[in-house]
Amino acid sequence: MTAATLQNAPHARQNWFTSRIGKDATQLWLGVFLIIATGLAPDLLDSSYWSHAFQLVNIFIIASICQNLLLVDAGQTSFGNGAIFGVAGYAAAIATTMHGVSYPWAVVLGLIASLGASVLFALPALRVQHFYLGFVTLSAAVVLPELAMAFNDFTNGIIGISLNFETLHQRSIFGVISPMSLMIALITSVILIVHALMRRSMLGRRMRVAAESPEAAQALGISPGVMRSLAFIIAGLGTGVAGVIYPMIVGFVGPTSFNLDISILFFFAVIVGGRGTLLGPILGVWILYLLPNILLAEFVNYRLIAYGLVALLVMLLLPDGIVGGYLNWRHKKQHGGKRLDLNVAAVLGTQSSALSKAADASAVPAIEVRQGRKTFGKVVAVDNVDLTVRHGEIHGLVGANGSGKTSLLNVFSGFSRLNAGSLHVNGVDITSLAPHQIARLGIARTFQTPRIFGSMTLWENVQIGRDARSGNSKAPIPESAVEKLRETLGEGSPDWVPHGQRRLLEVMRVALQESDIMLLDEPAAGLSPDERKQFGALLQQLRDQYGKTFVLVEHDLDLVWGIADRITVLDAGRVVASGTPDEVAGDPAVRHMFIESSHA
Amino acid sequence: MIEEFGIILVRGIGLGAIYTLVALSFNVVHSSSGILNFAQGNMFVLGGFIAFAMSSQVEFGPWMWLAVIPLAGISIALLLTFQGWITLLPLKNSTQQNSWIITTMAASTIIGAVMLLLKGPWAQTATSPFTPFNVLGTRTPAPYILAMIACVFWYVALRLFLTKTLTGLAISALSQDLEAARAAGLRVRRLQLIAFAISGMVIGTAGYIVAPIISIAADTGIKYMLNGFIASVVGGMGSDIGAMIGGPLVGVLSMFAIYQFGGHFQNVVSLAVLVLVLMFKPEGLFGRTSARRV
Amino acid sequence: MLEVQNIHSGYGSVPVLRDVSVSVNPGEILLIVGENGAGKSTLLRTIGGFIRPEKGTVKLNGVDVTGHAPESLVRSGLRLVLDGHRVFPEISVYDNLRLGAAARPSNDKAGFNAAVDNIMTVFPILKEKLHNYARDLSGGQQQMLALGQAFVAQPKVLLCDEPSTGLAQALLPPILNFLKTWAASGTAIIIVEQHIDIALPVADRAVVIERGQVKISCAGKDLKAELQKASEARAASGLPT
Repeated sequence: MTAATLQNAPHARQNWFTSRIGKDATQLWLGVFLIIATGLAPDLLDSSYWSHAFQLVNIFIIASICQNLLLVDAGQTSFGNGAIFGVAGYAAAIATTMHGVSYPWAVVLGLIASLGASVLFALPALRVQHFYLGFVTLSAAVVLPELAMAFNDFTNGIIGISLNFETLHQRSIFGVISPMSLMIALITSVILIVHALMRRSMLGRRMRVAAESPEAAQALGISPGVMRSLAFIIAGLGTGVAGVIYPMIVGFVGPTSFNLDISILFFFAVIVGGRGTLLGPILGVWILYLLPNILLAEFVNYRLIAYGLVALLVMLLLPDGIVGGYLNWRHKKQHGGKRLDLNVAAVLGTQSSALSKAADASAVPAIEVRQGRKTFGKVVAVDNVDLTVRHGEIHGLVGANGSGKTSLLNVFSGFSRLNAGSLHVNGVDITSLAPHQIARLGIARTFQTPRIFGSMTLWENVQIGRDARSGNSKAPIPESAVEKLRETLGEGSPDWVPHGQRRLLEVMRVALQESDIMLLDEPAAGLSPDERKQFGALLQQLRDQYGKTFVLVEHDLDLVWGIADRITVLDAGRVVASGTPDEVAGDPAVRHMFIESSHA
Repeated sequence: MIEEFGIILVRGIGLGAIYTLVALSFNVVHSSSGILNFAQGNMFVLGGFIAFAMSSQVEFGPWMWLAVIPLAGISIALLLTFQGWITLLPLKNSTQQNSWIITTMAASTIIGAVMLLLKGPWAQTATSPFTPFNVLGTRTPAPYILAMIACVFWYVALRLFLTKTLTGLAISALSQDLEAARAAGLRVRRLQLIAFAISGMVIGTAGYIVAPIISIAADTGIKYMLNGFIASVVGGMGSDIGAMIGGPLVGVLSMFAIYQFGGHFQNVVSLAVLVLVLMFKPEGLFGRTSARRV
Repeated sequence: MLEVQNIHSGYGSVPVLRDVSVSVNPGEILLIVGENGAGKSTLLRTIGGFIRPEKGTVKLNGVDVTGHAPESLVRSGLRLVLDGHRVFPEISVYDNLRLGAAARPSNDKAGFNAAVDNIMTVFPILKEKLHNYARDLSGGQQQMLALGQAFVAQPKVLLCDEPSTGLAQALLPPILNFLKTWAASGTAIIIVEQHIDIALPVADRAVVIERGQVKISCAGKDLKAELQKASEARAASGLPT
């Protein structure tokens, strides 16, 4: 899309809700329709068997939606969500039968219990990830039925607890629909809509960034630990909702109600249906739970085999699940080979900035390191470095591999901490701050491998920067330019843009973060000569129009000498030379270095 | 009191030896491919199932029983190699590096479900051809002692295999530097399958030997697998010597929990141990790599 | 022997090499130089089968082997020695050599023993430490072992990535001389090296890679002059040389 077509882009305000959901809209409405139709149709047809079956199916869908959120949006592998489900069910049932609490209050207690359980799940997740977390949560699912047996004073042990909700099952609404079916279908729909909205909310985006790249998250001021805990709490509460409804449907809770199988069902439903898709959990639960019901209604034991076999086959044949596989196929068919040509410079426009460089050369430096020293074991990566980066300049940081450039960049962004010396940004001492705290002070960074997330749209990839904006930038990118960028990128997929433009997007992300200082780690790697020029021009534009300060770690000396205002040369962790490009190029020590090593 | 102490100690170590065997069988696969097989527990129970099937079919004495041990090992080794082959299939394309968590979990579910279908939800128990031993003044069923012997046997055998034979060295090489191993021309896939087979030998014989003291049922496997994993984490993931220490530690603690609080609390205590170790010493006692990936 | 034509390659979505062609003949040593991040290692890794190129072909002895896995390339006679003297640390020196022979065409014990003897004559220190763990060797000794591990496989093409990384300069000449004699026996060798002054004398031809493209390709003896020319051109445009 060129700048010209941009001008003509339709500006009609879409309805808030639809634009919120974006490309997920079709899936969402289809999902809601399926949930309500299957939830109510059996009542209308007066089939109490299927009414019961679909009430159960719908609450399993609720739990699977939560599993989906946890697994994909937050990247947490939990095999034990059935335990949270069970805790909620047990707590509500115990409260109402043993203590005579009315069921609405019992529901509240059940939800509180599920909240407690999810906090217990979140704790180990702060320390360990991946299969370790899988094992911990799996253990929890194994332990819950045993605990139910152990505390038989409360749970009635193997006999379980019986409850009576007969009236809710009467088809009392218009004489055809039971309050139970209606309530469950509505709650399930609401939870699906909430998940869809959450995915497109700031919180949802932040969660996904934290899941896909904890470093990128920290650089955007997000604490991955907080995101993980929040995900467990939200998913736990949702699973709790399903859990407290369970006794109302079945009229019974016992240790066998919540054995490991149910955790496996929730997990595999997401895998089979399609990780990260809205329809996935619905289809997954239908296939895993319902199919054996229809085909092999008498052999309830076959259900487990079906779980295993279907999950295995899907993993081998359609690794993204059924909905995911379909979406991939359609995406390829519709957009295969599609290319989006970004013209970021045009989007930014040629606004004549009030920020002249001279006016902005304030006395307080942007970054100041004094006697900075960083060691890794015996290796001294940064050796008594004094370095000053002024406001509104592009500061090149060059040197051979292992000369300490990236170590220094990591110190600036808080990913590693100085062993000695001090680090000030805008005169504030940040020597011992965490990366996400530094990010919030208006220091953004990019990484050697670009952090562009394939699961997000192009705009969302930039928007995550905007989500993290500090709000105290001296010269924020104007709203009109942001709006233009949003329209250009839209629902486009990162697959559509080549690597070179992804680099530009990353810079736009940090620009929208409204950070006045940007740290770029080898941004030109992998760019073609043309793309390098484009990239250099973008940095200069951001410097000249918006007064941005850049620290540029880069091997491409032509690029650095072409755009930098000042350059610092590092060797073995020490500053060898620092000054304007001409000064540095003329420095005998530097000439010596580059003649020796630049081409060898 | 002394006698109870003896029972907790002797049976705890015996139980721990089972956990160690599970952990050893985890390690050999994990070090060659980074995979932790969630189906390992049900493979263990299948080994026990062989013992049960034999003892319920024919009356057989100690010698016959001993002779069948390799057979049980080989059967499970074949099954596990097949499972390994399936597990490694999707790993060819690099985008699905974590698919094994799901495929091994699915395999575990399938095996459990087949057992449930064949035998129903009731636990079976095999009979031991040996009479109980007298250790530290307590009557101890033979399988506890045999588990300890099997544990030492497999530890030594694995050490010899991994450090003396060319195949074993190649499998060790995979865990030390996978890229260098590929550059040297080692056939990675084949070696990983061999590792699965060896893991099957360990877990199959373990299940067979201790069949009389476990309940052979669809839901037993996962508990032994979890405790084996906990033993592995306590000792340090991937360390065989760690497993030799971690197993008995967890075993004695489990036995103490059963004795003190009752059987329903055994796995709660194990879970608590797991969480505590992961929170405060994620690398375990002898671990090389840390569990912490945050 | 080895012909690499129009390779485009990179990591994931990040392209590194653009249209690179190199070739090397039996008995010849090709030296590849270039700045950090220019794509030298990416080139060797692509040839060695660790990275599948997006475009282009790798031909070994006229046979197209593009995209073959490293373990199968070793069997076809192409061996990559990774940078950073990577041997198996918890395995003895002798067993490291045995593992190197795992890809030998046949099971000839005599040939293996002869190759091991050869290695130990060139690097006597390896004989001394034959039964020590490889982790107990110094960096230079590990590099000798890594080369020895490749030598016992008797490849037709050897790719050697930065043999000097982490080594004292004094250790380099014997290693490079070893490569020289090895090449003389008819092996085609590609070396990627930072220390151009030490490596150049053994090189028959040289290639300079800059930003993923071949900048200079010339005879080894002409490299200095070519580089001088290039740097004068840069100096003329006011850039650091």
